[in-house]
Amino acid sequence: MADIALARAPETAREIRHARRLSVGAKCAMPVAVLLGIGFLAPMVAILAYSFATPRSFDVFRSFTLENFAGLFDPANTVWLSFAWSVGFALFTVAILAVVAYPIAYGLNAVFGRWAGLISVLFVFPLFVSENVRLYGWVLFFIKNGVLDGTLRWLGFSGGPEVLYTPGVTLFGMAYTYLPFMLFPMTLGLALVPRDLVDAARDLGAGRLLIWREIELPLAMPGILIGMLLTFVLAVGATAEAKILGGQSIIVISHDIEIAFTYSQNWPLGSALAVVVSVFIAALTLVALSKLDLDRMLGRR
Amino acid sequence: MAGNSAGISRRSLLQGMAAGAGALAAGPFLGAGSAWAAREKELNILCWEGYNSAQVLDPFRSKTGATVKAESLTNDPTMINRLRAGEISTWDLINVNNPWARKVMLPEKLIKPLPKAEFEPFFAKMLPEFKWPYKWAMSEDGNDLLGMVQRFGPYSFVVNTDKISRKTAEETGWDLFNDPALAGKYGILESDDWNVFNLFVVAGIDPFKVHTPEEMAKFGETAKRVFKGAKLIGDIASMNQALISGEIDLHLTGGTYSVSPARADGHPNLRAITPLKGPLAGGKGGISWIEVTSTVNNPNLSPLALEFLKYVQAPDVAHTVAFAEGTFNPVAQMGNPDCFKLFTKEELDAIQWDSLEEEMARSVEYDIVPDYDKALDIMNAAKRLRG
Repeated sequence: MADIALARAPETAREIRHARRLSVGAKCAMPVAVLLGIGFLAPMVAILAYSFATPRSFDVFRSFTLENFAGLFDPANTVWLSFAWSVGFALFTVAILAVVAYPIAYGLNAVFGRWAGLISVLFVFPLFVSENVRLYGWVLFFIKNGVLDGTLRWLGFSGGPEVLYTPGVTLFGMAYTYLPFMLFPMTLGLALVPRDLVDAARDLGAGRLLIWREIELPLAMPGILIGMLLTFVLAVGATAEAKILGGQSIIVISHDIEIAFTYSQNWPLGSALAVVVSVFIAALTLVALSKLDLDRMLGRR
Repeated sequence: MAGNSAGISRRSLLQGMAAGAGALAAGPFLGAGSAWAAREKELNILCWEGYNSAQVLDPFRSKTGATVKAESLTNDPTMINRLRAGEISTWDLINVNNPWARKVMLPEKLIKPLPKAEFEPFFAKMLPEFKWPYKWAMSEDGNDLLGMVQRFGPYSFVVNTDKISRKTAEETGWDLFNDPALAGKYGILESDDWNVFNLFVVAGIDPFKVHTPEEMAKFGETAKRVFKGAKLIGDIASMNQALISGEIDLHLTGGTYSVSPARADGHPNLRAITPLKGPLAGGKGGISWIEVTSTVNNPNLSPLALEFLKYVQAPDVAHTVAFAEGTFNPVAQMGNPDCFKLFTKEELDAIQWDSLEEEMARSVEYDIVPDYDKALDIMNAAKRLRG
């Protein structure tokens, strides 16, 4: 009955007012919604406001200057190096993980059978341990006279490779940290591929490569792309890997932001950097999402 | 009418819910309001690592039944800016290095003086160099007592004496970091304010003065070279780990504060070094720090703030502060025999008690670099060129 009543367009002024009113449920949810809204917006507004404040001051909302941004885009400023390294690391992390995670995701869907659940848990389990603790664990593994070096010496070799405190090991740390964020969307993506289609293609004489290229990959693409996007966004903001494993051989952009907020005590500069990075990531995400027709890829149309 | 009354009742119900939600939301603030009125049972401390440890705070909590919160940060400007940014009514005590109380926090009215009569007697029991009126505890005009002193220590650099002898390190001094043969064999502690001081010293320049453009240029070149040659930059744990494993032979910026946990852990070959000579005032070779703990200019200061400052003067508590988790340091209260006798031989060895007096004598005291911001920007840019 209610549906029939709603299906009729509201006519009288009272009915229009009534239709515009929020439902009781929405009204009850208002306090929480407002709280969440403020919690989401307040830090962003603060950062944005600080980015226009006088450098090295706390004159937020009381001063307005573009000096912070002008400083960042000054050709003499080397901060672009940090930005380039962060984006480079993130791109490489995505590329490495796409290659590493795909076979595992395929295995979870089609090969591991009843072990798939246990294997998934093994990939999730490290997330319960603090990232820093896990990275310090890797330091003990790679360090001179550590697990790797010691074991190799014990086996009669001349010792382990000197990989610690290099950009390479930073990249390794990032790939290690963000593997689950690529793996699980990819696994879900591959789960979307109907078995029947693969079987039909095979019956029609398609080879493995052709099935992979024409059926599996396009149908799994939503999951793969979401995994890539998620990994990229997280990896651009990564700091711990470059600090702990990389020994700050590279200063990444989030570390530069941290320095501005701590030792430099230049909150306006840190905020301007944070705004630039956020705008870059947001623009990239929006462009990527606009190019992706999620509805079509998810088969809703 | 029936519809109206239904509307009213629905509205009044919603109003009631809104009021309830409002009360719920305001709950914590109402609590804050009552806490604002009476703060006899709460104390908030902004400090360096150590004072926030359970070993130090728990006995005070059980003695007073108070809620004591302590937040530890790893640089002075951040702590002071927390007060500047409006947290003056949150904190009761602030524990920072020596110059800030008299040179910055008192002039900016961020802290308030202590009652002299109550605290002066404690200085009589401290080590001789802290005798009343101790410079860094007093205001510039010498009239007010601004804080209490406790932990201190020399802070220049640390070497593995199995690789570089103490004698060589002390005699060569800061030039170790100018030696191309040592590139790739040293680390740099991530302690950027100290790194600014030390890079000036490595460049042969006194950090605690206004610098000429030529000196700044030399500082920049030195920063680029020293950062480029560093095997790693990291925190205290990373430095000690890299020294113990043999990844590095020495690290810039460090002293008793940073190396004592490794020494206490059975690595007496790692040692804080104070060079015999250097470009610092009076030809001194090292820099030392002394913490001063002051009462914040909180309009509603907890009465426990003064209680706590007295509590940490007691010999047993001072010993606990010296060996609080994370970092071990000498304390001014070691001048009191009752406090000194609590230190074991191993503990004295961990804090390099054998050479403490001479190392402090060879060091100038931590001070403010007038053009710190400019130097820090140059240093941060140099750090980016490592990659």
